[in-house]
Amino acid sequence: MDYLDGVTILLVVLGLVGIGIYTLMISRSLIKIIIGMQLMVKGVLLAFVLAGRISGNMGLGQSLALTIIVVDTIVAVVALAMAVRVRRRFGTLDPRALTTLRR
Amino acid sequence: MINGWLLLLPIGIPWLGCLAVWLVGDRRPRLQHTLAVIFSILAGVAGLALIPWSTQRLTLLLSLGGIFDAFRLATDGLSVFLTVVATVIGSLAVIFSVDYMHGEHSLGRYYAFVLFFIGSMSGLVLTTSLLWMFVFWELTALCSYALIAFHNDDPKAVRGGIKALIMTQLGGLGLLFGALWLYTYTGSYDIPQFLGSPNSVPPTVLSWMAFGFLIAAAAKSAQFPFQTWLPDAMEAPTPVSALIHAATMVNAGVYLLARFYPAFEAVPGWRFAVMVVGMLSAFLAALMALVSFDLKRVLAYSTVSQLGFMVYAVGAGGVFASQFHLMSHSVFKALLFLAAGAVIHALGTRDMRQMGGLGPSMPFTHVVFTLGALALAGIPVLNGFWSKELILEVGLGHGNPTWIVSLMILSTGLTAAYTVRMVAMVFYGRGHQDHHEAHDAGTAMKTALIPLAAGTLTTWLLLGPFYASLKLSLPHHKLELNAVWEEAVGKAGVSEWEMTFKVGLEILREPSTYLVLLVVVLGVAAWLGRARLASLIATFRGVEKAAQASFGFEAINEVVVQAVQRAGEALRATQTGYLAWNIFAILLGWLVVLILTMLGRAG
Repeated sequence: MDYLDGVTILLVVLGLVGIGIYTLMISRSLIKIIIGMQLMVKGVLLAFVLAGRISGNMGLGQSLALTIIVVDTIVAVVALAMAVRVRRRFGTLDPRALTTLRR
Repeated sequence: MINGWLLLLPIGIPWLGCLAVWLVGDRRPRLQHTLAVIFSILAGVAGLALIPWSTQRLTLLLSLGGIFDAFRLATDGLSVFLTVVATVIGSLAVIFSVDYMHGEHSLGRYYAFVLFFIGSMSGLVLTTSLLWMFVFWELTALCSYALIAFHNDDPKAVRGGIKALIMTQLGGLGLLFGALWLYTYTGSYDIPQFLGSPNSVPPTVLSWMAFGFLIAAAAKSAQFPFQTWLPDAMEAPTPVSALIHAATMVNAGVYLLARFYPAFEAVPGWRFAVMVVGMLSAFLAALMALVSFDLKRVLAYSTVSQLGFMVYAVGAGGVFASQFHLMSHSVFKALLFLAAGAVIHALGTRDMRQMGGLGPSMPFTHVVFTLGALALAGIPVLNGFWSKELILEVGLGHGNPTWIVSLMILSTGLTAAYTVRMVAMVFYGRGHQDHHEAHDAGTAMKTALIPLAAGTLTTWLLLGPFYASLKLSLPHHKLELNAVWEEAVGKAGVSEWEMTFKVGLEILREPSTYLVLLVVVLGVAAWLGRARLASLIATFRGVEKAAQASFGFEAINEVVVQAVQRAGEALRATQTGYLAWNIFAILLGWLVVLILTMLGRAG
């Protein structure tokens, strides 16, 4: 792998994580927040693969990435289920409705 | 190694009991009483079972990964002694509570916190890791807060609890910084290792640590200038005052100073500062006790004053004397508090002006209270006399400043005066109309009071064995008895019990003993003859006024408490609950860490 390739992948990682964080900060819908989280996790996943490549532990990086995919899917499913519950209970997907933890 | 697990018992049994009492629930108060008593007595037995290991080291090490240090426990004379005090007096306080708390609601909360406290206190003294010591230190502060504010529908109790929490927390900061500094410079939280080589830490940092620990100890032990939280803590149920605010938790500060004495001994100005803190507390609190009318507040001031004696003793170089007085004090002060609890329980008031003439109607309480009071005043044969003499002997030798020890001797006179005043106001004089049918202590109360009364008469006999176990098990402490005594006890083949006898004889031979006794008698006489001295006392009106107003320290403490509370209210604005703000804060924190790391790389 070329040095430039590494830098490109790193930039993609930073871009994905940055977009994810930005989404988390500005969006006012739980669905969009979950999407932002997914983007961030994908960036982190890529970073693991890259780190494995650089340190020469290809297998370790990739197996960690696979673990993350599994965990992340579960997180997404549970979060979406919670979003549905929130919508039914509060009538909105705006996270600001949850600040006091009561209706 | 199998024995190492024994060390977990004095911590684990009360904690299990805490869970059990809580789970039983408030619907079944009888079962709660029974369970609390059973578990506390088991804890007491576990504490006593450690005594054989007070001279040989028993250790337990549970690895917890890198950051939080291993969970280390070890025994030596000092830690075993304090564990025994915590668990045994703890179980007596719980037995006393069966009568005292009869019919109160939320017993589960009460017993759970008392048992949790007993376990935490054992952990505090048994651990040899500074970080874990801090954790247990804060756990005891939490229990103390929760129990002071036990009657949480009473605003005074809640305020007292919060004040105690904030003041002791302030001290906890000193301990935490000390622990972190120690880790930064030596890479471990291990206390014995630090005591062995205190110079592994640079001198400036060592002196910062020394004074930080002094603040921690002063805040925990209610010493000058933090002494005002302890009288306010008297809103707690009386067995709690006896256990936490007289016999155990407030001694943690003295324990801390004594434990770290070898490391800080050489820090310039430290010993002097410790002596001054102890002297001021002993003297000012004795004055305040002399003018207070609330029975429990008198006892609280007297606790501050006696803790001042112990702190002074550590500063003067008498680690053994301070610990010996700690032992005597925790026995006779627990006795006094519990007996006072019996009086308060019978009358329903704490104001001594409403008492008087209780001698005939409460004969048993009268006898044990007087016994404790005599020990507090320092009357011979009772344990308070011997230990106080030891402290003053240490103060007179070792090239310690004379003016400080003179004030300490004056404080013993004041102690005698306020003790006589207290006993006279409660048990003698003309009775108050309403109290003719005041009932004496109940069975459970008597069960708790009798061992303490017996202890008040006899614990001084342990002087020799206690000294021997400390001497054998604390390699870094220089336990110096006075040179004359070294000669008396230094001969080979002197058994431990013989040593008690010889040191006792030496105390009786010292001229200073009679000086102190004279001051004590003068103090008693001053109270009895106060009518004659009226004109002289009138000149001290100003002092009396100042003492009733806590010499203005109340205001300082109040400012600290208010500042903390206001800061808390102000910081509440940052807890918006909005996701966007939290993410922003995370990013900000990440940036700070990144910049610090990069600076660290560059440096």
